[in-house]
Amino acid sequence: MIEFYHVSKAYSGWPALQDVSFKIGKGEFVFLTGPSGAGKTTLLRLIFRADAPDKGQILVNNRNLLHIRESEIPYLHRMIGFVFQDFRLLLKKTVFENVALALKVSGVPEGVLRVKVAETLGGVGLGHKLDAMPMTLSVGEQQRVCLARAIVNDPQILLADEPTGNLDADLSGEILELMKSVNARGTTVVLATHNRDLLRRWRRRVMRLEQGRVAEDGYPEA
Amino acid sequence: MTRLRYLLHEAVDNIKSNRTTTFVALATTTFTMLAMGVFLLVYLNVQEALGSLREEIKVIVYLRDVVSPQAVSRVRAEIGQDSAVAGIEYVSREQALATFRAQFPSEERLLSGLGDNPFPASLVIKVSPAYRSSEQVRALVQKLNALSETEEVLYSQDWIENLAVALRYLEVLGLGIGTVLAASMVTILANTIRLTLHARRDEIEIMKLIGATTAFIKTPFVLEGALLGGVGALCSLFLLRTLFGLAEAKLALRGTFWGIGRGLVFLPDRVTVAFLLLGIMLGCLGSVVSLFQLRGARS
Repeated sequence: MIEFYHVSKAYSGWPALQDVSFKIGKGEFVFLTGPSGAGKTTLLRLIFRADAPDKGQILVNNRNLLHIRESEIPYLHRMIGFVFQDFRLLLKKTVFENVALALKVSGVPEGVLRVKVAETLGGVGLGHKLDAMPMTLSVGEQQRVCLARAIVNDPQILLADEPTGNLDADLSGEILELMKSVNARGTTVVLATHNRDLLRRWRRRVMRLEQGRVAEDGYPEA
Repeated sequence: MTRLRYLLHEAVDNIKSNRTTTFVALATTTFTMLAMGVFLLVYLNVQEALGSLREEIKVIVYLRDVVSPQAVSRVRAEIGQDSAVAGIEYVSREQALATFRAQFPSEERLLSGLGDNPFPASLVIKVSPAYRSSEQVRALVQKLNALSETEEVLYSQDWIENLAVALRYLEVLGLGIGTVLAASMVTILANTIRLTLHARRDEIEIMKLIGATTAFIKTPFVLEGALLGGVGALCSLFLLRTLFGLAEAKLALRGTFWGIGRGLVFLPDRVTVAFLLLGIMLGCLGSVVSLFQLRGARS
């Protein structure tokens, strides 16, 4: 599903990733961990093709991202849901409109769109807040809207960059549960976090980055 | 359909969220288009007037006082054989005097000082449509001047040709002014769209992240430009029609000065539609310019 071969990336001469290679299979759940500046966000941005690597090859769903055309990137983004730490919601649009936008860009018919958005928001526990404005929601609720927007079009991959960074332990647990249910439907999930508590709550593959390199990759011992 | 409705909704939303700027842009667009419309209207009316004047190119041969009626008939027959002549009308001295009295009743006292009828008899010659070039009319005038019965030949060709030359200058001037006005309108609309783009830059970024294509992101801005251009053109047409009505009423009050009052024309339907389309097109161009600059700034 996601394959990295000797990938390196530097920003203004500073190496963010160095010779990184790994494979993530379809339906896997991977925790991406490591200290701040280890390269977690860079790695997610490369999968998302928000950036291109300086060296190496990246394959997503058997497509080499190095050879993907600029005009094809939006279609790659529709295949990959992204949950941001800072939510990135449209503050002038309602919760419903924020989530619906992900389907509108794909040209989903209005009727299907309404059902799908209501279902997804119901799934993250926000079925009663369809018409609310993002600024009136709690931080946890805003993150759930962000998650709903990322999964509403049934992406094959879900990337989450520190989705619990601004949340307390209980809310972090809720978000993790939602991620687990998304993964249970067959979606490959890569969750970048430095929240050790999450790793303890659910024992799944952990890839630890340090100074832009994969320092550890495997399942934690029970 | 969902997508189209969304794109239109976004375009209207852009306009609403930037009301002051939009109002300024709309007002500027309206007045720019109005200036273009006024110029177009003047041009069309001068062209129209020139067309009707050309149809009436006449050469007047004033005859010597001593010419006998038999000589007039002979000259008339001789001139009538020329293929450049479409028709001849004889105006006797008495007819000329009567016409003057009818046209200028207040100038009667001028005649009293001149004693006998001062007007000469004349032949008014209508020139055939195929012989209306300057050279052809001049050749005919030369021929008429050579006749022994001719006192003087007057013709309107020269000033009509001068008017035609002036019209050609007007075309070039209009093209120049039109280009400058169009460029300023595009610049103003481009700046308006740029402000909207700036206000919505975060939104654009988010839309890119959730898989919106470039066309999906840019279309509302192009529609916004088209809408501003179209509404501006529509407003200017409304103002133009009002101004035209006022001008028409004023000219009608002053009588048929130079015959303009009769022939004043508004923009024909197809020109009106083209004018509207021009507004929409310039609006789109303004958006495209700002979107292009945005792309240039990012790359």
